[in-house]
Amino acid sequence: MLLYNVRIAIKSLRRNPVLTAVIIGGIALGICASTTFTTVRHMFARDPLPGKSDKLFYVRMDNWDPHTPYPTNQNNAGEAIPPQISYRDALALMRSNMPLRQSASFAAMMTVYPDPKVARPSSEPTRLVFSDFFSMFEVPFAYGGPWDHRADAKAEQVVVIDDAMNQKLFGGTNSVGKRVRIEDREFTVVGVLQPWRPFIKMYDMNGNFVAQPESVFLPFSLTPGMQIRSAGNSDGWKSAGTTFEDFLNSDVDWVQFWVELRSPAEAAQYHRFVDGYVLEEKKHGRFERPLMNRVTSLRDLMNVFGVITPQMTAMAAISILFLAICALNLTGLLLGKFLARAPEVSVRRALGATRINVFLQHITECELVGLAGGLLGMLLSIGAMKLIGKFISATSVISLDGEMILAALFLSLGAGLLAGLYPAWRICSVQPAVQLKI
Amino acid sequence: MEFGPIIRALKRNKVRFLLIVVQIAITLAVVTNAITMIRDESVKMMKSSGFDDDNIVWVRTKPFAPGFKDLPYRISAVNADLRAIQSTPGVVAVANTNFLPWQGGGSSGEVSAGGGDGSKFRTQVYFNTPGILDTLGVHLVSGRNIRDTDLDDDPNSKAPATAVISRDLERLVFKGQSAVGKQLIQSGDDGVVNVVGVFDPFYNPYGWPIHEYAVFYAGHVSRRGALYLVRIKPGMMKQTVPLIEQRMLQANNGRNIDMKTISEIKDNYFAQGKIVRGGMSMVIVLILIVTGLGIVGVTAFSVTERRKQIGTRRALGATKGAVLRYFLLENWIVTNTGLILGVVAAYGLNILLVTKTSGAKLDWRYVVAAVILLWLQGFIATLIPAMRATRFSPVIATRGA
Repeated sequence: MLLYNVRIAIKSLRRNPVLTAVIIGGIALGICASTTFTTVRHMFARDPLPGKSDKLFYVRMDNWDPHTPYPTNQNNAGEAIPPQISYRDALALMRSNMPLRQSASFAAMMTVYPDPKVARPSSEPTRLVFSDFFSMFEVPFAYGGPWDHRADAKAEQVVVIDDAMNQKLFGGTNSVGKRVRIEDREFTVVGVLQPWRPFIKMYDMNGNFVAQPESVFLPFSLTPGMQIRSAGNSDGWKSAGTTFEDFLNSDVDWVQFWVELRSPAEAAQYHRFVDGYVLEEKKHGRFERPLMNRVTSLRDLMNVFGVITPQMTAMAAISILFLAICALNLTGLLLGKFLARAPEVSVRRALGATRINVFLQHITECELVGLAGGLLGMLLSIGAMKLIGKFISATSVISLDGEMILAALFLSLGAGLLAGLYPAWRICSVQPAVQLKI
Repeated sequence: MEFGPIIRALKRNKVRFLLIVVQIAITLAVVTNAITMIRDESVKMMKSSGFDDDNIVWVRTKPFAPGFKDLPYRISAVNADLRAIQSTPGVVAVANTNFLPWQGGGSSGEVSAGGGDGSKFRTQVYFNTPGILDTLGVHLVSGRNIRDTDLDDDPNSKAPATAVISRDLERLVFKGQSAVGKQLIQSGDDGVVNVVGVFDPFYNPYGWPIHEYAVFYAGHVSRRGALYLVRIKPGMMKQTVPLIEQRMLQANNGRNIDMKTISEIKDNYFAQGKIVRGGMSMVIVLILIVTGLGIVGVTAFSVTERRKQIGTRRALGATKGAVLRYFLLENWIVTNTGLILGVVAAYGLNILLVTKTSGAKLDWRYVVAAVILLWLQGFIATLIPAMRATRFSPVIATRGA
């Protein structure tokens, strides 16, 4: 029966190719606009680490000027709190054994000296982390793995490099155990990453969160010895002194701090621990502002740091309205098309077709149109997204994922059904007797 | 006029005309709000920095030679670079500076007026060599520019720093008095800054609302690699950029060099705005086409359906003009009903967008413009099938179904 209905529907669609093209084109435009703009939003709204984004927490502490609050801006969702913490507070928090895993981290620029026969020295984006960082953010390794906790404690000269750096330095071979000079020291490669391109840089949303991950990862504990400074934002409200040691001991905020906790209860407990630490520091004349600390899950932090811009939401909303127009339009066109066929349907009814038969046949036609429009719309939106990807940045990855393809299919079938219900009902309730009079 | 018959006819075909009414209402809501979004982004993009953006290029050195660890070595390298760049054919001016227009941020600090009431003002702060004003293409309003002799690179220096400030910052901090010869106090370390001059214009969008405020200190920028802005003669960007790189590497081969034009950086900054503009313009055009086709379809259908009535009216003496008028009037009533609903929907959607997404407020002039646009669209979309109706011969009335 279904096949028969499909055959009839195709026949009917081929009878008036222009009208069919208009109908399918209309749905395709609606699906294209709505999937494109909702996908752009979805790329930034979706879970960057499924299953983990409510287990990883980002720590912020208000160590700002006692006289003026930290200025509110788009990076703190109106909360007057610095987006990062100071080096000394990060080290103090690292001493806790409450979290399952934890890592302070920051970005720096470090000079890598390849074998002179291979390439010129170059200054590379580097991230200073603790060994837990890699498993917390599910960083994929091709060879080797993270360094161990002992390397953290002893500030060992070990390095993890990304796939591109491994290509450049070692021609893409398994380079674990090989040596490379960074700044004025020799490092041993312990791990090589697989090509890794998370769609947002979830571990550092302070700066450009569509940027690529760094290519070199070093133990955080090398910071004082190698006098490494942050290449990202650093916020201060009073003099940081003159020496590097002064700087590390200052209240300048430039370190990001992540902990992995097992449950919301643990998060609350950890928050109390941070509050306790700050209250203790207050006794030593620091943290003079009213107590304000934040332990924010990765999922909530994306809202705080404004990963989804308001324009994306507005465009997604408007594109859904556009789809609604296309569906309404389809209803109007189908109504005309079906009712014009009243005499033909009357003959079928007179020959014994039930109302249900007629209804199903017309709904089939609507769904066929919806499906064809949906597929065409998806093709169009792939093109549209390529265009948008070019605008955002060459390296950005915007594409349809399974979830969005399903959503688009569902939308097009839904639009076909909704748009077709009324016309199909009208045509199946036509009185054959009236139509068949000559 | 045939208002009576039209309304009665509409009542008999409620659903069909309701479809058009709702389409027109949503179209009006979408078109007006999409125009508002486009306008909002355009205003941001049209805002001028006041700099010669098209002819400025940003140069960043990434040193790897060990000598760069040493401050005096770095400063002498910067001075050698400045000479090398300045002498390159096509270069108008160059400055060693950590200012970069249109990157969506920069560095900032808090200052207060020396001898004032101690109120603090947040402002953008940058370190520069004297070429900065010529490089940006901004002019001195009062006082003098910073000089080479003002450059102070000693991190332990307790001597006052020297700076020029933007005119808007002068107004903000010194309340209408001249800033020249006065002092600014930096928050935090209480460092003293002698203001020697005031320049204008300055606009660099920042995360905080301090886009127009700037302090340009006299100082070199070399710690994480030297940064330069270079202004090039109009139209000579292409041939000059590779020449600059070549000369800089000749001067010192112990580093790599990155160059980006300010236009590229600005494009990147406005990427999302461009998507909003392009996407919403497409949506407006498409929605008008789709709604227009919808009106054509429904009118065409109602014309076909009423062939007999039209024939009868023609047989009873109605002119072609009267038939045309009937359909146009019918559409006009339907359109207006849609537009009334649409104005309500437009403001409703706008309130939603303003509160949920901090969008811009709807301007009533866009609503008027969109109403006129939709009137026109309705007129044209009806005219096509209605013209066909006028060609029905009165003979139809005498035939069967």
